[in-house]
Amino acid sequence: MRNVAIIGVGYTPVFVSKRKDVNIVEMISEAVDAAFRNTNLTPEDIDSITFGNMQTFEGLNLPHLWASEHIRALDKPTIRISTGGTTGMSTLQAAYYQVASGLHDVVMAVTWEKQSEGDSQVGLTGIVMPEAMVMIQHGMDLFGGRGMAGMGGGSTGAASYQAMSYLHHSGASPEHIDKMAALERTNASKNPYAHLRKVTTVEDIQATPFISWPLRYGHTCPTSDGATVAIVASEEKAKKLADQVAWITGVASCTSDPTTANLIEGQLTDSAEQQPARIASEKAFAMAGIKNPKKEIDMAELYNGFAHQSLMWLEKLGLCKEGEAHKMLDKGALDIEGELPTNASGGVFSTNAIGASAMNRPAECALQIMRKIEGEHQIPKKVRNALAHGWGGLFQYVTVVILSDEPRKAK
Amino acid sequence: MAEQERIVVTAVVPLDYTYNYRVGPYLERYIQELGGKKIMAIKCGGCGKVVVPPRKVCGECNRVMDEWVEVGPEGTVENYTVGHVTLNKGLIEPADPPVTLALIKLDGATSFLAGEVRGIDPADLKNGLRVKAVFTDPAENSLTDLDHFEPAG
Amino acid sequence: MERKVAIIGQAQTKHSEDIGMPRERMLFELVKGLFGQFGITRHDIDTFVLCSNDFQVGRTISNVFEDTPVGAYMKDETKVEADGVWAVTYATTRILSGIYDTALVVANSLGGSEFRPYLIMDYQLNPTYDRQLGFLNELSTAALQARSYMDKYGMTDAQLDMIAARLLRNAAKNPNALQAKADATPGYVAGSDYLYEPLRKLHCYPFTDGACALLLASAEKAKDLTDNPVWIAGMGDSIESYYVGERDLFRSRSTRLAAERAYKMAGISDPMGQIDVAEVSTKFAHQEPIICEALGLFEEGSGGEVADKGLSEIDGEMPVSPSGGGLGAYPFSAAGAICVAECFRQLTGSAGDAQVANAGAAVAHGQDGFCAQHNAVIVLSKEEG
Ligand SMILES: [Zn+2]
Repeated sequence: MRNVAIIGVGYTPVFVSKRKDVNIVEMISEAVDAAFRNTNLTPEDIDSITFGNMQTFEGLNLPHLWASEHIRALDKPTIRISTGGTTGMSTLQAAYYQVASGLHDVVMAVTWEKQSEGDSQVGLTGIVMPEAMVMIQHGMDLFGGRGMAGMGGGSTGAASYQAMSYLHHSGASPEHIDKMAALERTNASKNPYAHLRKVTTVEDIQATPFISWPLRYGHTCPTSDGATVAIVASEEKAKKLADQVAWITGVASCTSDPTTANLIEGQLTDSAEQQPARIASEKAFAMAGIKNPKKEIDMAELYNGFAHQSLMWLEKLGLCKEGEAHKMLDKGALDIEGELPTNASGGVFSTNAIGASAMNRPAECALQIMRKIEGEHQIPKKVRNALAHGWGGLFQYVTVVILSDEPRKAK
Repeated sequence: MAEQERIVVTAVVPLDYTYNYRVGPYLERYIQELGGKKIMAIKCGGCGKVVVPPRKVCGECNRVMDEWVEVGPEGTVENYTVGHVTLNKGLIEPADPPVTLALIKLDGATSFLAGEVRGIDPADLKNGLRVKAVFTDPAENSLTDLDHFEPAG
Repeated sequence: MERKVAIIGQAQTKHSEDIGMPRERMLFELVKGLFGQFGITRHDIDTFVLCSNDFQVGRTISNVFEDTPVGAYMKDETKVEADGVWAVTYATTRILSGIYDTALVVANSLGGSEFRPYLIMDYQLNPTYDRQLGFLNELSTAALQARSYMDKYGMTDAQLDMIAARLLRNAAKNPNALQAKADATPGYVAGSDYLYEPLRKLHCYPFTDGACALLLASAEKAKDLTDNPVWIAGMGDSIESYYVGERDLFRSRSTRLAAERAYKMAGISDPMGQIDVAEVSTKFAHQEPIICEALGLFEEGSGGEVADKGLSEIDGEMPVSPSGGGLGAYPFSAAGAICVAECFRQLTGSAGDAQVANAGAAVAHGQDGFCAQHNAVIVLSKEEG
């Protein structure tokens, strides 16, 4: 396979709750323009486009069609990828494969969500709709308290089961979730492209109400409007087009079964087990030539819709031993200045334009490696290898991308 | 435990969410100007095309379009169809009388605008027919302020 | 490209108005049947490329419920949300990258029994303008496209009926087709009701439940699995403007560019001479000449003449859609993958009554959008090349 690098990233100027001033395609075009600006490229340099979002969230079927002019796709190959929360990274991976295969040299991956225009919790609950309706027909009151719990109560309800299990198995305490939340919100305050940007203390988090024990309101992510674009290129082109690049050295995805979600189909398996994270990360490490991830990975950007997940993912992805993540947190190892800076950007937990959320992870890793971070969250140490993680589906789908400061060595 | 009386074979799920689409600055101005019975288009500074309804980007030129020009209110039918049915939430319903739908090139525009032509026998709807816009009066500050077209002159 | 990719096998449902079983079971049986043909299991598949659409399925992230039925549990899987032809190009891309040796494409939708195809198309409209006004829809835009071609090139209603009649007769030779009539005549088509002029009901695709699975492999792996591979010789795709009022509807710019890319990759300089059969994703009869001309299979504007002379018949000079194409069955998300599968059947000599004699190279096509805004083309060959 050919080596592939991220040569530039473009964000919408802001990620906020409601972009009332622009429509969907206008908003997406802002990130496309930013990517061109940041790379000094024009649409003529782009061979192909990959595009992704969660379509039912905006009530827009195949939105790449309406957006074709605004994303500068006219006369270009274009493909739409949609895998749920992981869409952003799946869309980047599609761009990766197009270059790795030799089919194209420069590919632009466009990801976005304008959550304010629809109802994301309805959209997410839509995952279980058919089952839910069957239950209604059997006379079950889905919208009473117990019914809503059965359906997951949107994603927060389902995540609380996962948090419970994680705390039980890891030995972490609910206060560790508070602490992780405060750390990431404070990181986000340094990131101009973050949505919730307020320096936050553990006490601030603990002052928020519980939604579903052990998760508090302050443990949940916002819903955001925003778009992120990444441009990837072959080794030959990357060297011509950019001074600073970040190499994509490993890619992987893994799915398990939707019953792991602990939603309506019963508690067949444990939603904190997340076997796909282990499988995907091992595969990506092998591809990237990383033998000891605990040592060789310098930073992580993890997909955390909920604050407990940052700790959980560090363990599931093999970046620390099971039960160690909260100890690393206590030591300060996860801080921007620490050994393993984790979600220096503030994570999905602070910025969540869903279709772009799993793209922002590798985009942030790439900018950290290129030392092109705008804002105050540049990691001080040299980043050689970074792990970007996406999570979604019905709690059972994981994507991983490894980014490095050097290309993959030919075997 | 009571014997199960029926097996659910079909789960009927209406997918009827409410979405709130922001129309953006281009369509906002277009709608406002319709209230004054003006049809505003946007011109590309690159290729010179004049499109209505207006939008931000000319994909061909990779340009943000920013020159507003008034077009119409008269124009020429460039393509048409007579609909013997209409679609209501995806279901076919008979249209009686038939719908006369045309792509109209407004004077001064380069793009074709879709609109309904009323006041005409469907058999008389032809390419080249001159039509003029009819506005809602009083204006309702909506896209439908450009209500329909009718034969000109 | 250092690698070559082959299609090893295909499986389709018997497309119908109501498949009569849950999607999961449909997919499980389809894939199990395909694996059975080669004595392989899900563990022989390196990557799964699914193709479905959340609107069509009526639930968010629809692929998660397909993963286990198709055997992707704890495997690499992704989802293309577009026509199935893009799932085939993406699976091919993944194998070409060298990271995978085998890929399974599974594309499906239940447009006959589960959702309303015309409503799904409404959801593709610009929601701030076109969807508000309701002028443009699946049928009115198609009618405008038909009128544009017929006015431009003088194709008559009778010639349009001939295209539809030929496709319905072809569909009768395809055991999986849904809308078919062995003795269909232009008069039979003309006897169906007008929808939007000039389109009548029998010029249009039927609402279809259906699925298609394709097994792809690298050259080395392909030779282990079969003696009869079909090679993906070239592929390309292109998108054009969303705005139907700014496009020349009588031709397909994006199909032409897609074909140019695919032919270049396949080393085809004379498609009329080098292509033996085409499977074209036509939702409406009038799209066949528009797309075939953009594919370089016929002269521009020759649709009426091609129909009169029967050039696109199964035994004609350039057989087009021996399967009946989109008029025979059009399961959204799967339609383009079915075109690829039908080319595979032709090139492996397994197309039964619809078999084109001596087919060595074929072209498959898939589309998305109003008036076929987005098109993809795949060239398939019996020769490894
Ligand atoms: Zn222009």
